[in-house]
Amino acid sequence: MIENKQLIICRCEEVTYEQLQSTARQHTCSARELKLRTRAGMGFCGGRTCRIALDAIMDSFIPDENKAVIPLKYQPPIRPVSFGTVGGRHD
Amino acid sequence: MTDLIVIGSGPAGLAGAIAAAGTGLRVTVVDEFIRPGGRLLGQLHQEPSGEWWNGIKEAEKLQHEAHALGINIRCGVSVYNIETAEAGWKVYTNEGVLEAPFVLIATGAAEYPIPVPGWTLPGVMSIGAAQVMTNVHRVQAGRKGIIIGANILAFAILNELQLAGIKVDRVVLPEKNAVSRQAGEPEAVIRSLLNAAHLAPSALLRFGSRLMKNETIRNIGTRFYPKNGLKINGTPLQLRKAAVEIIGTEQVEGVRTVDIDAYGHVIPGTDRLYEADFVCIAGGLYPLAELAAVAGCPFEYIPELGGHVPRHSETMATPLPGLFVAGNITGIESGKVAMAQGTAAGLSIAKQAGKQAAASGRQLEQAIEHVRTIRQQVAIQFHPDIELGRSQMNEQWKAHEGTSVQPGEKIG
Repeated sequence: MIENKQLIICRCEEVTYEQLQSTARQHTCSARELKLRTRAGMGFCGGRTCRIALDAIMDSFIPDENKAVIPLKYQPPIRPVSFGTVGGRHD
Repeated sequence: MTDLIVIGSGPAGLAGAIAAAGTGLRVTVVDEFIRPGGRLLGQLHQEPSGEWWNGIKEAEKLQHEAHALGINIRCGVSVYNIETAEAGWKVYTNEGVLEAPFVLIATGAAEYPIPVPGWTLPGVMSIGAAQVMTNVHRVQAGRKGIIIGANILAFAILNELQLAGIKVDRVVLPEKNAVSRQAGEPEAVIRSLLNAAHLAPSALLRFGSRLMKNETIRNIGTRFYPKNGLKINGTPLQLRKAAVEIIGTEQVEGVRTVDIDAYGHVIPGTDRLYEADFVCIAGGLYPLAELAAVAGCPFEYIPELGGHVPRHSETMATPLPGLFVAGNITGIESGKVAMAQGTAAGLSIAKQAGKQAAASGRQLEQAIEHVRTIRQQVAIQFHPDIELGRSQMNEQWKAHEGTSVQPGEKIG
């Protein structure tokens, strides 16, 4: 349990513990769905900062997911890049 | 033309590049930081032998060796994607796309913070950030700091801050909750610290360590752990206090704590406020494996190695052709182990590339043996059951050997 409900877990998207908890309760959802509904872990840093905390929190809501599977998918670009870079411009 | 792209110029990446280039392979190293060395750059400590380990010097040595072999080290280059190409791999960077038949991912580890109310205030940083400020940028993090979290990484960096003359007022635990879990339980923290007794911060812990392996004595030890803590070179280690909030309006002004029992339960009416102008949160390290995941490498979940780790062999190969890993991406260990793993990876790649096949076969065996030897010798051991984690990975590798994996298959 986390006492302070306003505690920010994902800094980039400013998602609080309370938002995660109420969303998980309301939708009894998977880790992936919880991420998509709240945007936790989907901000500028790509979840590098809050990933471990999110995993632990999600596990406390919905335990016993298959541990061999990474709960929150990694997707490119894994670093912030401009559209120009992705489009092949490097000036 | 490049035969091998190494991602990450830390101890693993540089050692891997050097070993591969030594057999005649053309190697390019990319790193997103402004100078090579990775986490070596922050390291400064005294070995149990009395010798000093200066990471900056070690990084310079590796860099010179790499330059002598004609290795191209490109700093300030971020990799944001990796895909299979016709013959090998395409590595997408902010400076364009690189292509090579072999890639060594040596991206190391990332820190994870434990969220504490007020942790978004300016002046709150990860313990690793305090290390980089101090030893790499030579910037004083603040006048008076508090460390939240008592683990090996925190003690190593506390010592570095003290060496730099930066005042750390105290070390306290995070409040026990769904995120901090065992890091918020004095009993569990003592148990993990005892496993590193040879670098224990105080004579009492060091003296008591053998005694404290006995559970009953350990429980008594935790219960009677001095309220004001044991001092580590003048900084109290207060295992019976937990940080409940970081206070401040514009920036950090202090930390509110409560007293806790041996299992992390709060003792009511024990609120205290300690002044500070910076706070370091020491959560821990986890393997930074984003690129291996994006490439489609299968993972294993092995807590002893730090969590999700790309499946790999002792020759540092992944199930994906041409894709190798070394260093902390394979499990959280000392920089010296990372270096030894890098060498093994470099030789392994050389062997696959058909360079000095006979000679490097023997060399490779020796390099793998060297990883094991170094693992037993190192001063800083992040997980007491690292050997168990390593053998689990080897078993997983053997269990899956021969099953084909399609690159690009998205994992997670």
